[in-house]
Amino acid sequence: MAATQTLAEQLRAQGVSRRGFLKFCAATASLMALPPSLIPRIAEALEAARRPSVIWLSFQECTGCTESLTRSHAPTLEGLIFEAISLDYHHTLQAASGEAAEAARLQAMRDNAGAYLVVVDGSIPGPEANPGYSTVAGHSNHAILMETVEHAAAVIAVGTCAAFGGLPRAAPNPTGARAVMELVDDKPIVNISGCPPIPMAITGVLAHYLTFGRLPELDAYRRPLAFFGESIHDRCYRRPFYDQGLFAESFDDEGARQGWCLYRLGCKGPTTYNACATQRWNGATSWPIEAGHPCLGCSEPAFWDAGGFYQAVSVPPRVNAEALLGAGAAGAALGAGTALAARRFTRHEQQQREPVTVEALEKRL
Amino acid sequence: MSELSLERGLAALRAEIDAPVAAFFSSCVRCGLCAQSCPFYLETGDPRYTPILKLEPLRRVWEAEFTLWGRIKRWLGLGQEVSDAMLAEWEPLVYDSCSLCGRCSMVCPVGNDLVYMIRKTREGMVQSGHAPEGLVAASVRAIRTGSPMGLQWKTLAVQIQHVERSTGLTVPVDRAGAEYLVMLSSMEIINFPEYLEAITRIFDHAGVRWTLSTQCFEATNAGIQIGSKDIAAELVERVVVAASALGVSRVISPECGHAFTAIRWEGPNLIGRPYPFRVFHIIEVLDELRRDGRLHTEGKEADRLSMHDPCNLARKSGVIGEQRALMDLVAEHFVDLDEHGRFQWCCGAGGGVSSNERAEPLKLAAFKRKKAQIEAVEPERMVTMCATCRTQLEEGLEEFNMDIPVVGLTEMIAEHLVERPAAEPEPGTESGQPA
Repeated sequence: MAATQTLAEQLRAQGVSRRGFLKFCAATASLMALPPSLIPRIAEALEAARRPSVIWLSFQECTGCTESLTRSHAPTLEGLIFEAISLDYHHTLQAASGEAAEAARLQAMRDNAGAYLVVVDGSIPGPEANPGYSTVAGHSNHAILMETVEHAAAVIAVGTCAAFGGLPRAAPNPTGARAVMELVDDKPIVNISGCPPIPMAITGVLAHYLTFGRLPELDAYRRPLAFFGESIHDRCYRRPFYDQGLFAESFDDEGARQGWCLYRLGCKGPTTYNACATQRWNGATSWPIEAGHPCLGCSEPAFWDAGGFYQAVSVPPRVNAEALLGAGAAGAALGAGTALAARRFTRHEQQQREPVTVEALEKRL
Repeated sequence: MSELSLERGLAALRAEIDAPVAAFFSSCVRCGLCAQSCPFYLETGDPRYTPILKLEPLRRVWEAEFTLWGRIKRWLGLGQEVSDAMLAEWEPLVYDSCSLCGRCSMVCPVGNDLVYMIRKTREGMVQSGHAPEGLVAASVRAIRTGSPMGLQWKTLAVQIQHVERSTGLTVPVDRAGAEYLVMLSSMEIINFPEYLEAITRIFDHAGVRWTLSTQCFEATNAGIQIGSKDIAAELVERVVVAASALGVSRVISPECGHAFTAIRWEGPNLIGRPYPFRVFHIIEVLDELRRDGRLHTEGKEADRLSMHDPCNLARKSGVIGEQRALMDLVAEHFVDLDEHGRFQWCCGAGGGVSSNERAEPLKLAAFKRKKAQIEAVEPERMVTMCATCRTQLEEGLEEFNMDIPVVGLTEMIAEHLVERPAAEPEPGTESGQPA
């Protein structure tokens, strides 16, 4: 029954006012860096949108992505729009179980061939890996993925495991885990990375898809630029401390208490692209850096293997003032020595130099 | 005394490399902007005339002798040697296609003073015997006779007679204790005697005590053009001796731009001691007289006039506002060329190019830049203040059948002086009402 309702009807039935709905549209437009003139269009498109069929596949994952989406907000607009899609298959959330659950997936694929969206969380043991590492209803993850995406309109890889392989893929990668984009190459793919990803990034991509009928602009890792266009570091509220060279050196020193930059404690903010610094978490309550912990860089590829979480991205050589002065003095002495040698050489040449005489010139005429 | 040779040339190049040269070569980013500033490159389109390429002999010596990488290359036998053949090939690049105008030094984005290095490269060229015949001959004549054109005092004496006859004034000669010693160029004496007449009248009008010297009347410097500090120093020394003998406190350079550079800027370094006098260009002196209210003019030129700034005066010496203030005195319709002053374009004849017969076609090619500038503002006459520039403008405009006469600014000022009674003036009275 829900599949025939438009989103507007759905929202009204849920008790969301028109004003609240428009606020959501405006927030979506600004988040996606769309011009304000498009807000009415978003509202119009969302109001008229039939709930698209979504098949959610969970593979080698921890359910953290689903937890993040479902528990981080008690009913917000993001939650509502998420309910406003027709989630036809989702291990954790669907009521059906066993063969009935798999039948629902096949039914949705048949009914919406070419139009349904596939959301994937979790990585997939690749075709060359032992399929027994992860199966659902007796089928390997790889087989289910390939079967399901065949008639999909697009694939949305939610979470770093689906987007880049994540924890299962960390060295030595015993299950041969692969990212969705390594296995599927003939469908539009959006990666919404993060461990877990920001809920608004998922609803934003869905809203964009419902409004414009296509996926938003992506970066080199196929992440929506609207959410992954800027680094944590560039938008971090502790950035002024970095610029002043004020760093926390341990988790309980004066700098940490003063809220100084966590760079030296291993913060990966400078190399991490995500919207945590602007969106924050748990209904914009806080986020890791605000809680006093460095960014782990969870939305970046191979973040588990990118060095220790508490090692700074890069640090200048820690030399003491004496060594620095010594090196400076040695450099200056070397430079002065070279200059002196060059000058002596030139002076010697100048002394050796024979003046040009008019007689010598005359011989040339 | 040994012959001029490659060895002497290389030794001279080594001796010329100083800290600025090393810094300049190290900081060159090979952007090629110097090419875009050079009239010889722009008007021929020949990439050999890119200013930085003209410095290749000096650059190779610098690399081989003063850089670690160059030494390693030389040790491995990979160094690029400067040979006699190479210097012969570079001779036309260093002399024929460079008027030492210095525009490349102005535009270089990393601040490399290219013209400073061209001047130094010429030192090596002379020592290796690769200087153009025309410049060698001019240098020999300058040393032997006192004038690069072989002119002697008796020629100037004839011109003085003419001037005295036409003005009714006396041209002071060897007058000890005068304030100003006026130096001339042979070109002014032969081609533009009206210059001497003009300053005679202006100085009489303003009550300036000045003199010529029979000991030394020529202050152009072929040594600067050919690039030999020995020749240049000898020529500067003669001026200093003559000025000291007369006890003047100020020396007026010939209008000639390179003479001014030689005597105003390079001179004390060449002879290794400070001057007992100060050096001015006639334009600076005239503007000082104007500011002091000692120049009284009447009437103004009614036609459309434009002006060519000599490179050595404007770009290298910063004399830019003075000639314009003087123009305002006597010209009603003055219009500047689009690029003027510090960024003006060379006439194409300076730096020894005009003394070098072989460079004639290049000299004319480089003039096309000036021609285009002149065509853009369409003046009825051009005004300038350098005998070499003036000759080049006249020849060039004639070559392209452009009927635009060229006049000297000093002469134009002299024509507008207020007539006054022939009586000897008292310095205080002349600011009163002229008769």
